[in-house]
Amino acid sequence: MATFINSKTIFRLLVLPCLLLYSSIAHNSSSVEATMHTNNWAVLVCTSRFWFNYRHMANTLSLYRTVKRLGIPDERIILMLADDMACNTRNKYPAQVFNNENHRLNLYGDNVEVDYRGYEVTVENFLRVLTGRHETSVPRSKRLLSDEGSHILLYMTGHGGDEFLKFQDSEELQSHDLADAVKQMKEKLRFKELLIMVDTCQAATLFNQLQSPGVLAIGSSMRGENSYSHHLDSDVGVSVVDRFTYYTLAFFERLNIYDNASLSSLFSSYNPSMLMSTAYCRRDLYQRRLEEVPVTNFFGSVMETIHTDAAYKALSRKDSGRFKAQMSLDQSVHHHERRTLINVNDQDEILNTKAEDQQGASTCPFTSFYEKLRKGENVDSLVNYGLVAMLPLLGVSSWLFQ
Amino acid sequence: MTLLQRPVLVLLLLVTHHLLQCWIAFGSVDEEGQKQEEFNEELLLKPLPDRTVLAHFHFQSSAPPSTSNGRHHHLFPKAISQLVQKFRVKEMELSFTQGRWNYERWGGFDPIASSNAKPPGVELWAVFDVPQHQVDASWKNLTHALSGLFCASINFLESTSTYSAPEWSFPPSSGNLRYGTLPREAVCTENLTPWLKLLPCRDKAGLAVLLDRPSIYRGFYHSQRLHLTSTGSGSKGTDSGIILNQALTVVLQPIQPNGQRASMDHASEKHIQPSWSLSSIFGKQVRGRCVLAKSSKVYLQLDRGLVAELKRIHKENEKSVANGLTSENFWSYPSFELSANPDRIVVEENSLHSKSSSILYNFQVEKYSESEPLDLGLTWKIPVVWLCQSAPLHSSRYLMGSGNERGAIAISLKSTQLREGFMGAFADNERCELRVDVFQVVPWYVKVYFHSLQVFIDQQPKAVSDVIEKIHVSPSKDKVSPGMMEMVLKLPCRVKSAALTIEFDKGFLHIDEYPPDANQGFDIPSAIISFPNFHASMFFLEDGSVNKSPLLSKFQEKSPVMSYTEVLLVPLTTPDFSMPYNVITITCTVFALYFGSLLNVLRRRIAEEERFLKDKATKKTGQLPLLLSKLSAKLRGRPWEPPHSPPSSSFFISSKLVFKVILVAGLAVSWQYYFS
Repeated sequence: MATFINSKTIFRLLVLPCLLLYSSIAHNSSSVEATMHTNNWAVLVCTSRFWFNYRHMANTLSLYRTVKRLGIPDERIILMLADDMACNTRNKYPAQVFNNENHRLNLYGDNVEVDYRGYEVTVENFLRVLTGRHETSVPRSKRLLSDEGSHILLYMTGHGGDEFLKFQDSEELQSHDLADAVKQMKEKLRFKELLIMVDTCQAATLFNQLQSPGVLAIGSSMRGENSYSHHLDSDVGVSVVDRFTYYTLAFFERLNIYDNASLSSLFSSYNPSMLMSTAYCRRDLYQRRLEEVPVTNFFGSVMETIHTDAAYKALSRKDSGRFKAQMSLDQSVHHHERRTLINVNDQDEILNTKAEDQQGASTCPFTSFYEKLRKGENVDSLVNYGLVAMLPLLGVSSWLFQ
Repeated sequence: MTLLQRPVLVLLLLVTHHLLQCWIAFGSVDEEGQKQEEFNEELLLKPLPDRTVLAHFHFQSSAPPSTSNGRHHHLFPKAISQLVQKFRVKEMELSFTQGRWNYERWGGFDPIASSNAKPPGVELWAVFDVPQHQVDASWKNLTHALSGLFCASINFLESTSTYSAPEWSFPPSSGNLRYGTLPREAVCTENLTPWLKLLPCRDKAGLAVLLDRPSIYRGFYHSQRLHLTSTGSGSKGTDSGIILNQALTVVLQPIQPNGQRASMDHASEKHIQPSWSLSSIFGKQVRGRCVLAKSSKVYLQLDRGLVAELKRIHKENEKSVANGLTSENFWSYPSFELSANPDRIVVEENSLHSKSSSILYNFQVEKYSESEPLDLGLTWKIPVVWLCQSAPLHSSRYLMGSGNERGAIAISLKSTQLREGFMGAFADNERCELRVDVFQVVPWYVKVYFHSLQVFIDQQPKAVSDVIEKIHVSPSKDKVSPGMMEMVLKLPCRVKSAALTIEFDKGFLHIDEYPPDANQGFDIPSAIISFPNFHASMFFLEDGSVNKSPLLSKFQEKSPVMSYTEVLLVPLTTPDFSMPYNVITITCTVFALYFGSLLNVLRRRIAEEERFLKDKATKKTGQLPLLLSKLSAKLRGRPWEPPHSPPSSSFFISSKLVFKVILVAGLAVSWQYYFS
């Protein structure tokens, strides 16, 4: 019996460093999560070729116009258009693209910057843009140069089916490819939050394989449903916009850059009877509550400007202080969110919050010790501590082997 | 004391401010007193015989070679100078074109037609100032950089199978030149906007304001061109002087005030040329110059043929009316009217090749402002019919043969009225020869047999060696490099028509290499036909003006007459892309059938089967208890279970479990033993 107790103490002693190691890892991960939202990117993809797919290009250009209007600059928008509709010989209105019969708004204004067009819009290039694995000579304007503070909007439109999206009528992007690319992006710290918006038939199936945290996905239709076009322009001769995008735009046209409409209000604006399909939103990977997230988090770029009246040196000091404050604030927000989460089934997260709780209680001597250890201050004292800790260990072991 | 000090301080501040301003203003002037950066904008308008108007915008920016200023530029676009520095570009020309220049109607002899008419799509050639082995790497990087800069897929030119290295068709370059075209590249707003962003005033002021996208792209032809030459020693790491010429050529149809197109006119006034103004062809007017431009001019050019025709009409008029007009006072001709008074009239010096000379009306944009915009218009009063001067031989190219296996390319050259006219003087000379250079690139999947080259002159076959003076061929390598052919032909002056034919086989592509719209066919890029004996230059009598116009000096450059042939569309065998799936399905079915039956035959044991049959026979007798049990299950309302559950598996599982328990117990015992 005595031996049993002894083994238990040994076990405890063994557990202690493990716990130490674990808590340090947990702390690291929490600091990663706490990075600020610093910039916005948009990747807008039209995957259909040929004139009769005019509406897909109009969809993409409408979104392009919207995000540009809401503040994302051109160098942070990757626009992929699979065909040239504006200067197509079949276009009665050269250099113009309309998404409405009334022709009030020319989407192809004077300042469109198309990054990938024509034959360049392939699955390969799309995945390269997402994962950032380009050849060295590819110019910056064709790269998605996002970082761990980026919110990315990924909009795709084209013809799709159950778990795939066709590119140019010759290739397919499968839901696995998309999920893998997103996972790779997450591991490379290429985004903080990602909103995937897809307007295609059976769009919801494209999100089935996603598993990276921080991803929110909206599709225009469920499995087995089609996404329909909105109306036909008899002057242009083809349908000019899809229903899902049309109602998305109808929502955004009411907004300006300073509006605070939430994502949930966007999602609730989709009326299945108008859409003739059921808009689907996959939100289980997204931690924040949609009621609290403004749409400009993804569709706009609202930069917080930090006013400084001193030169660089003072700025850096001030800025870092501010950043720390922001970080702690962010952490507390996270805290709050975790408590409100209804079903947290992720073991890691529970442990994570526990670790944070421990940190929060500043009275715990262990954490203060740990803090010292982490900071690497006065190494000598650390060594002394270690030596002192060795003594009971030695005593116990010798007592055991008596 | 302080009261006294303040004005002094203010004065000091003012003085330094002025000094600073001066320094900023003349910042680009070197210590050696070198030239400043310059920007000039010019627009040339020209009525064309087929009721259309040609507008040729020409913007020139130049940066002098400077060592002190480093990388700072005042007017010159930084993107271009960085490009030149990074890739050591000596000379480069990039053009985006939509539509085809109509050599028969719009002329083929003047500088605009010969150096600004470009093949459809994208054409890029560049000369690099790097060692031979680095040229390909520089080209690759340059194409990527340009594709980012101009929003086009120029990066498709990076693969070796799309570009070639001509030896003598372009400026002599000692192997540092690369040439590539993308005939199918779409050209639209997104290509024009970055091009305009290279101008100091963009499209916000000056002549570029006229470039209203919908009206430009409505035209029959538009070509935007960027040509740069860097002079000076680029290799020593010093900043070299760069001259950047940007030209945009459009052929537009004027819209009549009543909204209808000019071609919709009534039959009675069929021959009256449509009247037009800047606002009717562009929808905009010139409201002052770009303030950063050194000169800002608008020209109206009357073609040589048109001037000759007008002179003829004028003479007839003089006979009848006898109004004393001086021959210099062209703009007050009764045949047409200009909406603005020209500031200067420049007459071309009589050229060698033609009887009459063309006239330029010069308008200074400085004189016009927001309140008084320049809306240059031309109103015709009498019908005029004329012809533009065309190249000595009209060239066209077509495909011969049928089917998906083989075919032939033919280039035909036909003499035009021009050649008959002025070559007549030389024609009596038996030794007179007309030199024609042909440059042709064919993609690798069109496998050209160079031995099958045939030459026909006036429909008579001729020996190749009689006509072709010099030929340079680099045969294509599959998926590596395109085939290239450069030829120098010597044709007799009296030639009426000449034709070159060459046969080819159509190759097969890998399934991945087919574009998404392979059914549309594949393009063979334009061939370049040039006539080195003829120079498309115009000399203008400049009345001693100090600032020579870059456009006119460009016109005076001695460049050979050049023309591009049509792009050919070759239908290749395109597989049915669902075929592989069909094949896979059928093969799998066949295999399954074959192996299934084979396995069946091999595994079948007759004896066992007989026994099985016997068993079945016995079971039939024991069917009653089974039925009874089924019935009872139904009565009890439970799903029926087969009476014999497999006991072996459960036993196996339990044995496994027992084994595990024993193992764990043994481990525990040993543990106990060890620690005690």
